[in-house]
Amino acid sequence: MVPAIAIRQLRKRYGAVEAVRDVSFHVEQGEIFGVLGPNGAGKTTTIECILGLREPDKGTIEVQGVDARAHPDEVKHRVGAALQSSALQDKITPREALTLFGSFYRRASSAVAMLERFGLSDKADVPFDSLSGGQRQRLALALAFVHQPDVVILDEPTAGLDATSRRALHDEIRRMKRDGRTVLLTTHYIEEAAQLCDRIAILDRGCVVATGRPSELIERSTASKSVSLVTTAPIDLAAVQTLPAVTDVVLEGNLVRFTTSDTGSSLFALMGLIRASRVQIVSLHVNTGTLEDVFLALTRAEPPK
Amino acid sequence: MNALRQHLVVSLKLYLRNKMALAYGYVFPILFLIAFWVLYRYERVPLVRHMGELLTVTVLGSSCFGLPTTLVSERERGVWRRYRLVPGSTVGLVCSTLVARYLSVLGAAVLQIALAVALGMPLPAHPFQLGIAFSVVTFAFLGLGLVIAMMADNVPAVQALGQTIFLPMLIIGGVAVQLSSLPDWALHISAFFPGRYAVQALQSCVNGPGLGSVGFSLVALIVIGAAALAASAGLFRWDTNERFLSRPGKAWVGVALVAWIAVGLAAEARGQIALLSWSRSADPSPSPAASARSPAPSAGPSAVEQPGSATVHTDAGAQQCPSAPPTWFQVTIDMIDADLVFDRGLPPDMGPVTPIGREGLEPRREVAGMLQELDIALRAWPPGKVEDPVQRVRNLMWAAGVPDIDEMEIEWWAPHVVFARVKEAVPQDQLVQILYWIVCHPYEGTTPTAQDLRALNLPGLPDDMIEAHNRVAIYSHKLLGRLLGRIR
Repeated sequence: MVPAIAIRQLRKRYGAVEAVRDVSFHVEQGEIFGVLGPNGAGKTTTIECILGLREPDKGTIEVQGVDARAHPDEVKHRVGAALQSSALQDKITPREALTLFGSFYRRASSAVAMLERFGLSDKADVPFDSLSGGQRQRLALALAFVHQPDVVILDEPTAGLDATSRRALHDEIRRMKRDGRTVLLTTHYIEEAAQLCDRIAILDRGCVVATGRPSELIERSTASKSVSLVTTAPIDLAAVQTLPAVTDVVLEGNLVRFTTSDTGSSLFALMGLIRASRVQIVSLHVNTGTLEDVFLALTRAEPPK
Repeated sequence: MNALRQHLVVSLKLYLRNKMALAYGYVFPILFLIAFWVLYRYERVPLVRHMGELLTVTVLGSSCFGLPTTLVSERERGVWRRYRLVPGSTVGLVCSTLVARYLSVLGAAVLQIALAVALGMPLPAHPFQLGIAFSVVTFAFLGLGLVIAMMADNVPAVQALGQTIFLPMLIIGGVAVQLSSLPDWALHISAFFPGRYAVQALQSCVNGPGLGSVGFSLVALIVIGAAALAASAGLFRWDTNERFLSRPGKAWVGVALVAWIAVGLAAEARGQIALLSWSRSADPSPSPAASARSPAPSAGPSAVEQPGSATVHTDAGAQQCPSAPPTWFQVTIDMIDADLVFDRGLPPDMGPVTPIGREGLEPRREVAGMLQELDIALRAWPPGKVEDPVQRVRNLMWAAGVPDIDEMEIEWWAPHVVFARVKEAVPQDQLVQILYWIVCHPYEGTTPTAQDLRALNLPGLPDDMIEAHNRVAIYSHKLLGRLLGRIR
């Protein structure tokens, strides 16, 4: 199947700064794909290149097999987008905005239908400057969706929203996926990416440093796993220290803690030691790491919120 | 097309919801009009000589400030980034923005004209042509507004750039200060500004012979507007993060400037610097009113434009003189006291109409020289020596009236020079009678020719001859008041 979005060897430079360096990834039809990265990683520039807001220096961008640089208008009919830092005029109403932006497309939902779907019916005729942050973001999403695009691109869609508005927006993004749309979103909320995205790409300093499902990325992560074991009687510290791939062993009474770079072989050997020691396991916890661990390990950035 | 129609409708709605835009777009033009009406309330026909200026100021303000302010603030908010996400042409969006602005400024212009008509101005002489002239003027200025919008990185920069175009155009560009009152060097400079051509094109349709007389002005405006549109297309930017100074294509600004320079040079080469002939040589306004009062013996250097129409109008200079006798030498002080007042109704000496500089107001050296030349010329001026004393006084008074109506810098002191010569030209007892007669019969007698006036270093006959007669009558009224001690 043709990918919803395919980016190959994308490069973009602003003066001396190379914002995007040979970025390549693809987004499958019908998935939610997250682009994760610290500030300045090149997320927004990548998205702006897809949308035709920036002219890449090099590389190819295809949306559903259509060359975005050669046929920008065709791509615009297929893609809906909600960007950061794009507001509306103070006095325009949601109804007028949806009618106006819908009129640019070959087919578009009615303003009434969009207002209802995005919970803005009671604010249909209220000026934009009277809407709350959450209502403005819902309107931005409605504008991105007004022409029923196959691909929806959202740049930091939940930035600055309270928890309730963020949850409502997550529900709406999941609904888009259920409707068969493809969603590409950038975010710097790792939790959001882990909850929402089928796959993610992590960008750092203009490069893709990892791509895959969140669980795969965690599994592939070079971060060490920690193991905590409580037994009915203390076990021999020196024996634990000889287990394969084990480091940082701490023994506190019946509790033993260690880290391992190879969970499987360490645990297999641990089971043998327990049998030989004639003790029983009270509890065993293996901390497999989080997406945040992966992010920190790959980007060496400050932990995102 | 549906999208552009929707965009046009939304743009107009947003304009009408914006209180500041309405204030600048509609209230200020009305205030300007009222200010002109008050300033020039003694003119025979209210506002008709100033509609070209008023309409130009309206279009200029809306184009240099209103349009770019809207565009730049929308760009700063990211509205144009959002527009860029939709399919369709940029040109279409910009055009619908311009059409919305055109319609809004057209509304302001219609309001101005309607209000002027309500205040006594006759309908424009060539309304259809006025529509064409207005469209061409708006085209040229909206082009400039687009260039400003593309150059300005933020709204305060719009104000700064707009003022650099607006103020020079107002002061030496022939928009707020009439060209006839500008010195020669300023006339040459004004030829490089589009404001001059805008005023000429519009004024020719209000009380002039129409667009046939201002072909150069129309072409100049079209060239300036087209170059500005081309420049703004080259400078166009969607994103507020693209700063003007750091992006390529800045040279497009030169295209807009080259058009101004080319037009100015063409005006120099084609002899378009001098004032238009129709605005100098004859009164193009609707037929002068009759003032068929008792004739007075007169003889002069040329035949007067005898008022032939029976149209009734209000004359600022003419007085109702029920006591007036059949001839001037039968005038008595009682008649003067019965018919004339001096303490109200006359334009103030320090106002724009029939000014008289107060004692102690010193002219610049250059102006003082011009006044001295006027004084010397008047002493030998044949029209100031004609046999008929009434005509002699009338002729001399034109030397005060013409600088006033043309807003020349000598207008503040010329009356003093003229009054002195008039007092020498006629004995005071006769002069009192004659001045009363002129006040009561402003349109009688003959007028000096353009050549006569040029002999005094004056520019020639004013465009509005009826108004010139009125100014002569008002100055006569003021001198009479001084002679009788009623005006100090």
